[in-house]
Amino acid sequence: MSITTAAHDPSGPSGHLPSFAREARLRLAEWQLALPLSLAFAALFLAPLLLLVATSFFNDDKITQPGFASWAKFFGDPFNYKVIFDTLLLGLKTVCATVVVGYPLALVYMDLSPRLQKVLLFIIVMPMLLSVVVRTFAWIVVLGREGVVNQTLLWLGLISEPLRLLQTELGLVISLTQIEMPLMLLPLISVMSRLDPNLRDASAALGASRWRTLFTVIVPLSMPGLVAGCLLVFASSTTAFISQTVIGGVRLIYLPLLIWQQSLVVYNWPLAAVASLSLVVSVLTVIAALSYLGRRSSRHLHG
Amino acid sequence: MTVNRRTLLAGATALGGASFLPTIAHAKGQVVATTYPGTWEDAYRTVVAPMLKKKDNIDLELAPLFAMDQIGKAKAARGAPPFDVFVLDPGPRIVGLEGGLFEKFDAKKLGNLAKLPAGFTDDVGVHVSAQVVGIAYNPKKVPAPKGWADLLKDPWVSRLGITGFQTTFGTSSLIELSKLFGGSLTNVDPALVELKKVLPKIAAVGLPAAMPGLFQQGQCDVMYTNTQTVATLKGKGVDVEFVKPESGAITFFTTMHIAKGTGDLENAYKYLDLVISKDAQEALTKAPYNFLPVNKDVPLAPEMPMKSLDEMAGYVQHDWAKINPLRAAWIEKFNKEMAK
Repeated sequence: MSITTAAHDPSGPSGHLPSFAREARLRLAEWQLALPLSLAFAALFLAPLLLLVATSFFNDDKITQPGFASWAKFFGDPFNYKVIFDTLLLGLKTVCATVVVGYPLALVYMDLSPRLQKVLLFIIVMPMLLSVVVRTFAWIVVLGREGVVNQTLLWLGLISEPLRLLQTELGLVISLTQIEMPLMLLPLISVMSRLDPNLRDASAALGASRWRTLFTVIVPLSMPGLVAGCLLVFASSTTAFISQTVIGGVRLIYLPLLIWQQSLVVYNWPLAAVASLSLVVSVLTVIAALSYLGRRSSRHLHG
Repeated sequence: MTVNRRTLLAGATALGGASFLPTIAHAKGQVVATTYPGTWEDAYRTVVAPMLKKKDNIDLELAPLFAMDQIGKAKAARGAPPFDVFVLDPGPRIVGLEGGLFEKFDAKKLGNLAKLPAGFTDDVGVHVSAQVVGIAYNPKKVPAPKGWADLLKDPWVSRLGITGFQTTFGTSSLIELSKLFGGSLTNVDPALVELKKVLPKIAAVGLPAAMPGLFQQGQCDVMYTNTQTVATLKGKGVDVEFVKPESGAITFFTTMHIAKGTGDLENAYKYLDLVISKDAQEALTKAPYNFLPVNKDVPLAPEMPMKSLDEMAGYVQHDWAKINPLRAAWIEKFNKEMAK
C-alpha cells in the first residue's frame, strides 16, 4: 500500500503523518535508492549463477539429459582434487608473499611525509593502470631464459646455465605477487593511515620495544585492512587465468584452465559448470575462513 | 506544463532510445564478420574493410574471436547470431555444422566462383585461405630438424615448445608425431608416451596463443606452427625458419560461413565474394600478412612453402569428423600426462 502512496505523491506534505509512518517512508526511500543496483545485481549476477547451477545438472554436452553425471565425473577423478588443491595453494602462497612484501611497505608509508606518500601511492597503483596482458607479458621478458634475471645472474657469474623461472610455480608466485600487490596495499594503507600515531608513542613510553609495539599494537589494529587485502589477493590470484597460463604454462594446471578448456574448447558446458562451481565454492570457503579469523581477532582486540 | 521528475525521466528515456535510431539506419550497409585475433584482424581491418566500403559501400565490422570462441558465442546466442559471418578451421567447422549454425550456402552467388579451384565451396561455406603446418626453428640456436621425430631428440628437445590439442595445428602436429611411433589419426597415445619420456627436458608447454611470444623471447627455439606465424615472426626480425617435415607438411583450409538467422544475407555474400577476389587475396599474401591464397589468379610468393596450389594435394590432410569426437578425451589426457 505504502509503495503506491509514495509513488503517486512524491512531493506531498508529510508533516501531518504520524512519526512511525514518516520513518517507514524514509526507509522505503532508501530501499528504492538501492533498487536499481539490486535489480542489476539479480539480473546480471544471480540469474547467471542459477543458470550455471542448473547447467551443471545435465549429463551431456548438448544439455538435454538432466542428471548428476557431470558431478560424478568431475569428483570421481582424483586428478581434479589435485587441481582444486593446487589452485587454493597457489592463492595461499600468493597471499603470504604479498603480506611479507607488502606489510613492511605499508609501515614505511605511515612514516613518510604527505608528499612522499602521494608518490608511493602512485607507484603502488601504477600496475593497475596497465592491462593484465601487458603486465603478464612483461614478466615473460623478466623471467625468461634470456630475460633480465637470468642475464644478470649469468653476467655476475653466479650461474652457468639459465635458471628455469618461467613455467614454474615459483615464477608464477613472483609475478602474481607484483600483479596483485595493489589489492593488498590499498586496504592496508587506508586502515593504517587512520591509526593514531600517539598509540605508538604511548607504547614506547610504557617501555615496549619497537618489535613489541609492532606485534601488540600496530598489527592487531591493522587487522581489518590486512584481512581485506588477503581476501582480495586470494580471490584474484586463484582466478587469474591469463597469468596462470601464460607465466605458469599449461603443465601447472589450475581450475580456470580446466573451465576454459571445457567451456570454450570442448564445449562440455555441464562439466565446465561443475568446475566453475567448485572454484566458487572452494574460494568462498577459504574466504569465509579468513574473514572469520579476521573477525575473531578484532573481537579479541575490542573485548 | 510543469517539469517534474517523471516527465524529466520520460524525456530522458525517449532521448536515450532515439540515440539508437541512427544505428539502425546505419546498419543497412554493414556486415559483422568474425576474424582471428592478431594477423587476421590486422589484415582484414587494413585491407578488406576499405575495399568493401569502396566497392559495395558496406561497413565491415570485425569481431576478433578464435574459432572455438565463435562457436561458443553462436551457440550461446541460440538463433540470434551476434555476427553474420564465421571464419573457421576444419574442427570447429564440423562442430558448427552439427550444431546447425550455418545458413545454406549458394556458391553461385559468388561472382569470383570460377577463380577458385574445384571443391573449394560446398553447401555451407567457402574456402578463403590455406594453412600449412610444420616445424619452426631458430637457425642461430639449433640445426634444422628433419621431421617430427627429431623434436624428441637432442639438441631440439631441450629447446622445444609444445602445445596440446586446443588448436587445429597443435592437434594435427601431435597426430603426425604419433603416426611415427605406431599411432594413427584416432590414436595419439604413442605421441603422449614419447613426449612424457622427455618431458623434463622440454623447454615450454604453453597455450597456443603464448607460443610466438615464448619463441620470440628465446624461451623455446623449436615449435610446431603454421607458415603464417613463421612469416609474421620473421617480419618482426625474429630468427626463424620453416621446415616441411619428411613425412609431409600438414595442410588445412580456413573456411567462411554465413550465420543462420542473419539479417544481412546479401551483404554477407558480397563480403565473401570480395574476400576471394584477386585484389583482396593478392593484398593479403603480401608481407606482413602472408596469407596463403585460394584464388587461382594470385601468384604465390617465392618464400611460400609451395610453388602452386596443386602441390597441396600431396600434403597431409586430416579428417576432422573422426578427430572431433575424440578431442575432449585427448585434452584431458594431455592435462594429466603433462601436469607437474
